[in-house]
Amino acid sequence: MKIFSIFFIILAFSSFSQEINPLNGVKQSKPNFIALKNATILVSPTKTIEKGTILIQDDKIINIGMIVFIPDDALVIDLQEKTIVPAFIETNSSLGLPKISGRHSFFPQIETSKEGAYYWNESIHPEVAASAIYTFDEKGIEEYIKMGFGIVSTHQNDGICQGISAIFSLGTTNYSKQLISASGNPFFSFSKGISNQTYPSSQMGSISLLRQTLYDLKWYENATKKENNLSLDALSNQIKKNIVFQTGDKLEILRAHKIALEFNLNFTYLGSGNEYAILDELSKLKLNVILPLNFPLAYDVKDPYTAKEISLSDLKHWENAPLNPGLLFKNHVPVSFTSFGLTSANFWKNIKIALKNGLKESEALEALTLNPAKILGIEANFGTLEEGKKASFSIYDSNPFSEEAILLESWILGEQKILASSQKIDIRGKYNLIVDNEYLTLEISGTKEKPSAIIKKRNSNTAGNSKIKKRKRNQKTVEIVKDTLEIPCYINLVGNDVTLQFSSDDLKWEGSVSLHAKANMKFGVFEGDGTIADGTWVKWSAIRNETAEKTKSSSGSDSKKDKDESEASFWFPNMAYGFTEKPKTETVVIKNVTLWTNEKDGIIDDATIVLENGKIKFAGKGSPTTPNNAKVIDGKGKHVTSGIIDEHSHIAISNGVNEGGQAISAEVNIGEVVNSDDIDIYRQLSGGVTASQLLHGSANPIGGQSGLIKLKWGHTPEEMLIPNAPKFIKFALGENVKQANWGDFNTVRFPQTRMGVEQIMFDAFERAKKYEKEKIANPNSYRKDLELEVLLEILKSQRNITCHSYVQSEINMLMHLADSMGFKVNTFTHILEGYKLADKMKAHGAGASTFADWWAYKYEVNDAIPQNAAMLTKMGVVTAINSDDAEMGRRLNQEAAKTVKYGGATEEEAWKMITLNPAKLLHLDDRMGSLKVGKDADIVLWSTNPLSIEAKVEMTIIDGEVLFDSKKDLELRKINQAEKARIISKMLAEAEKGSETKPFVKKKAKHFHCGTIGEEGSTESNEH
Amino acid sequence: MKHLIYISITLFSSIFAQENQRILLTNGFLHVGNGEIVSNSIIGIKEEKILFVKNALAYTIRKNEWDTIIDLQGQHVYPGLVAPNSTLGLTEIDAIRATNDFNEVGDLNPHIRSLIAYNAESKVISTVRTNGVLIAQATPRGGSISGSSSVLHLAGWNWEDAVIKTDDGIHLEWPNSISNGETNHADKKRNDKYEENKAKIVQFFESAKIYAKNPEKHLMDLRFNSMKELFTGTKRLYFHANDIQQILDIIDFCKQEELKFPVIIGGYDSYLVADRLRDAKIPVMLPRLHSLPENEDDAVDLPYKLPYLLFQGGVKFCLQNEGDMEAMNARNIPFLAGTAVAYGLPMEEALKSVSLNSCEIMGIEKEYGSIEVGKKATLFVSKGNALDMRTNDVTLILIDGEILEVTNSQTDLYKRYKKKLGL
Repeated sequence: MKIFSIFFIILAFSSFSQEINPLNGVKQSKPNFIALKNATILVSPTKTIEKGTILIQDDKIINIGMIVFIPDDALVIDLQEKTIVPAFIETNSSLGLPKISGRHSFFPQIETSKEGAYYWNESIHPEVAASAIYTFDEKGIEEYIKMGFGIVSTHQNDGICQGISAIFSLGTTNYSKQLISASGNPFFSFSKGISNQTYPSSQMGSISLLRQTLYDLKWYENATKKENNLSLDALSNQIKKNIVFQTGDKLEILRAHKIALEFNLNFTYLGSGNEYAILDELSKLKLNVILPLNFPLAYDVKDPYTAKEISLSDLKHWENAPLNPGLLFKNHVPVSFTSFGLTSANFWKNIKIALKNGLKESEALEALTLNPAKILGIEANFGTLEEGKKASFSIYDSNPFSEEAILLESWILGEQKILASSQKIDIRGKYNLIVDNEYLTLEISGTKEKPSAIIKKRNSNTAGNSKIKKRKRNQKTVEIVKDTLEIPCYINLVGNDVTLQFSSDDLKWEGSVSLHAKANMKFGVFEGDGTIADGTWVKWSAIRNETAEKTKSSSGSDSKKDKDESEASFWFPNMAYGFTEKPKTETVVIKNVTLWTNEKDGIIDDATIVLENGKIKFAGKGSPTTPNNAKVIDGKGKHVTSGIIDEHSHIAISNGVNEGGQAISAEVNIGEVVNSDDIDIYRQLSGGVTASQLLHGSANPIGGQSGLIKLKWGHTPEEMLIPNAPKFIKFALGENVKQANWGDFNTVRFPQTRMGVEQIMFDAFERAKKYEKEKIANPNSYRKDLELEVLLEILKSQRNITCHSYVQSEINMLMHLADSMGFKVNTFTHILEGYKLADKMKAHGAGASTFADWWAYKYEVNDAIPQNAAMLTKMGVVTAINSDDAEMGRRLNQEAAKTVKYGGATEEEAWKMITLNPAKLLHLDDRMGSLKVGKDADIVLWSTNPLSIEAKVEMTIIDGEVLFDSKKDLELRKINQAEKARIISKMLAEAEKGSETKPFVKKKAKHFHCGTIGEEGSTESNEH
Repeated sequence: MKHLIYISITLFSSIFAQENQRILLTNGFLHVGNGEIVSNSIIGIKEEKILFVKNALAYTIRKNEWDTIIDLQGQHVYPGLVAPNSTLGLTEIDAIRATNDFNEVGDLNPHIRSLIAYNAESKVISTVRTNGVLIAQATPRGGSISGSSSVLHLAGWNWEDAVIKTDDGIHLEWPNSISNGETNHADKKRNDKYEENKAKIVQFFESAKIYAKNPEKHLMDLRFNSMKELFTGTKRLYFHANDIQQILDIIDFCKQEELKFPVIIGGYDSYLVADRLRDAKIPVMLPRLHSLPENEDDAVDLPYKLPYLLFQGGVKFCLQNEGDMEAMNARNIPFLAGTAVAYGLPMEEALKSVSLNSCEIMGIEKEYGSIEVGKKATLFVSKGNALDMRTNDVTLILIDGEILEVTNSQTDLYKRYKKKLGL
């Protein structure tokens, strides 16, 4: 009774609904109500109604349930147990938006080319509103509808602040009715997009630019006397909203999340498909994630020569990616799906792959409806089929999540769109086929929509006979399988009409047979007529004796598949040489070993070292008590040293080592883009390196901040960063910063000479000083400038400089400049002419970090001499030998040994150049660099004197964790090989099943050097 | 005037630049270069040749027979080391185009000769020599056929003086079976044009072979003319290739074209088909030992271990160091061999891989590569193991019997600034 009254109120209210648009002709006719009955209704992820009814008025659901009062004036549609699924919601689309393309110019474009009161950087354009540039795209809309979507949020996929999305209903009527909201989600990313402006040229640059933009916004919103900026106006409205942050890798989620915390923003992360590798972090931080379902295809691995080129990390990703959605749900990460990268042809296939790999049906529905509705903020009207919500749903002939269903109708805002005949019948199964008195078996399989067929005949002859007789003829292949003859058969189904065509020489009639019949599936019977080879018309019939389900279940191939899945594993990191479990601190005792203490004791034979709780507990002669559970190693004939510290390294960095877009980029920070998945980490461990300063490159005079890491293989970037490490920044002088070797077009950016380098640095520090005055004068209204903040730290001696430098003139200049500003240059790196100025460097207090013997690669190294390091050491300058090169980084012991040869350093002096001295230069010598009780347990066990050419690393330990063990390494190689072989055979099995494969593509081994430009690494030379 | 000297580093420079002299090296720990050692050796040198090599116990010195007798006091004597496949002498400063003379325009350039671009006065050469590297193969780069290399010793006043073997071989960049992509940043994939590229090379060589049979029947063709001796003489064909597919195709190609002296340069995958290379008698100049593994999954020490793997597989090989900064890095060739020792190669085999093996592969082993009677006196003396950077300390250098300075432009600067700094 109550339902009844509400119903009338609504009716009275809505029957007078008006439209703005004028009408051409007479108003369209439609029923007052529509009732869909006898349907299985997936109301929401948690609720399903069997044999239910939905009552619709206009675009709304006004009642839903098992028992619903259907008014007289309702159009009733009997759905005969078909399934109604809420319309899916796409959060990530560029539907109906113009294609974007960039410009290219040979000369670098430093300033914006966009006219108007917009932000100074072309990759920041929050003012782009998708609703304003949307055009009707019928094909695109149909594609989404076919996948089951009813609502799409579309945005222009370009830049760092990309603009705001528009939410559309996928109807085909008019724009105003389709547009749900012109103010959907703002989109951010770390990719600069099509902007041709030089800045930013790296991911760390993008991070800094986004942060600076957000600080600018704060200032813009608060400042009283302000300029007008349309970009910041737009951004101001966006930052309170739910922002979708596009990522290209799991690590980018963690990077973006730091920005979310810094500015108190609400980010939903658009993932890349490898989020399974940061499960712990995602569930701990309770992050919202939108996942793509375009799982990688299996590689074509038939040729072992190309199969060997595919890396284990790619193979593992292929196996692990389908587990991604299920795993995230299991770990309580709110997940939405995007169809990005998929089409209606493979959308359901990929959903089913996820369902087979641990995703529950209810979770899949949630990820396609309720969760995206929440992200778009439209859950009041969409996402579930409840009273009062919009009538947007799809009708399938069965449950699409559990069966192979056909989409029959799409209802969008109460409007019906018929997509397939609901009459589609399932004819699959096994039939007895009788044609012109010939008795055959007809097997129909394939999909319900597109069945396929094969005709079989039991051979009455002996198997041997028939084998000789039957061979290929024409194009058709006739094969003898045991004693059964198999004949391929063309089959077509339109409505109830079945057509069959086959050809064989082994039946009663030689040649082609064409048959047509009406199917009566109530009885499982086809009955009709057709022609045989000689054109004679014959009668035929087929009677089903086994349905499709039965055929399927009897095949029983699923048990093997389950076994395969259980073998999928996740390593830390998820690639060759990864750990099966995160490494843990161990207690280690090495006895009878030679210790290179780097302390007063020097080199001690027959000594013992004890590592406990990640620290050195004992190092020296004597017999300390062996702690419980200690790993005891006999070090007879072997040597233990503190771990090698590489003062100048560019490994383990994501998307760009240089922010060369501007001459000064103090705001960028390598520490924000540490890449924990770089194989070079493991390779450096195999050479005894335990810590590295990841330096910005040398593309500009004032580069970026350093990331000081320990090479903690198997850990996250955050865990690799050295806690409370002193602050460092890279400066650079000479040919690289004046772009001397960058070709004829790079002649625009200031400076182009050593003269300009001095002036731009002076100017920067003067600006920093003025900035501080402004800060003090207006503590609440100054514009926070990330670049000048860092320069201020230098002026206050809170941040150390490592300066890329080669020739004496520029080295001298920087020391004078620093003296005049009241700070010290901490380290000159490369410093190949350091020997010419060793006295001045000593007086200034600068240290040196140099190459052992490099020279002749460019003009400014013409006077480089390999005796440099030894001379600097003798002059009392703290001197280190560094790598700047992933290859040399893993044999720094050899490079140190060269200082013995050239310039006559003692072995202890030489060894300190790659351990204690870099620790001093990095101000980490209180915890690393020597074998002293209380220092970090970062040690290396060597097979012999570590300066000998025959020295090999047997074990590298960091914080008491054994991260490289030469014996374990041999085992890992075997494990890698076995894992590779296992996955490759699984791929081969996939290919045999007929799955699509792709040819191998292998990321080139790329490495960063000082002068490497752009986000990609390079294989070029002369970049130091 | 007869000299009797105990070795000292600086003395030799100008005093002994005389000709026709007879030098006796006594008390040296001799590494012959062919795998043998003589712990207390006497080496007699007359003019440019080695007169004899003897055990000191079996020889009585008659001082008046010698112009110079040098007591090596147990120091190590090595044959001059070799830097094959190098741009040493063809470049001075990598980043300065004006100093680069190793890459000519054009795709098929067999007739291009590195010899005439070789700068005997290169400052870089002087720093390479002082580590014991005394022979280099100046090699052009670029294109599908880069040109002809020549082998030179590192002491000439000019290329004419320095050359050991003119136009010793032609360098062919075998097509890539795996495409490196069009740009530096592109990913690797299967090269769809591999068969096509290969066919082009085959056709070019077939034509050259026809020319070589009856050159007089043709008009002069510079390219084919330069290739004649690949089929009729001792000219080497150096295949630059790394992948297994390439290597196997090269083995077939060599049989088909009846090449007498094929050599593979690179051969990263060679260890996978060592038996086939051994049977086909194709030697390999291995890739720079101090390089990272090619593939993420490869054994971290694979480049270090390749010499040992080929040694075990019975394949003739030597070391070279093509790559970043290869000219200046030629001085580190002894340490490439040293590193191979740490990864399984016996010490004297390691020496061979940078001396006699290299000379055999290039076809100059009759005169160079080891310290044996009748060969040129091209050798050096080091205080310690010359293959270890810690102990490599060269005190005496002889090239073709001539004693050379053990200083270079860098030691000159060192001396000058030591004085300035009061060190």
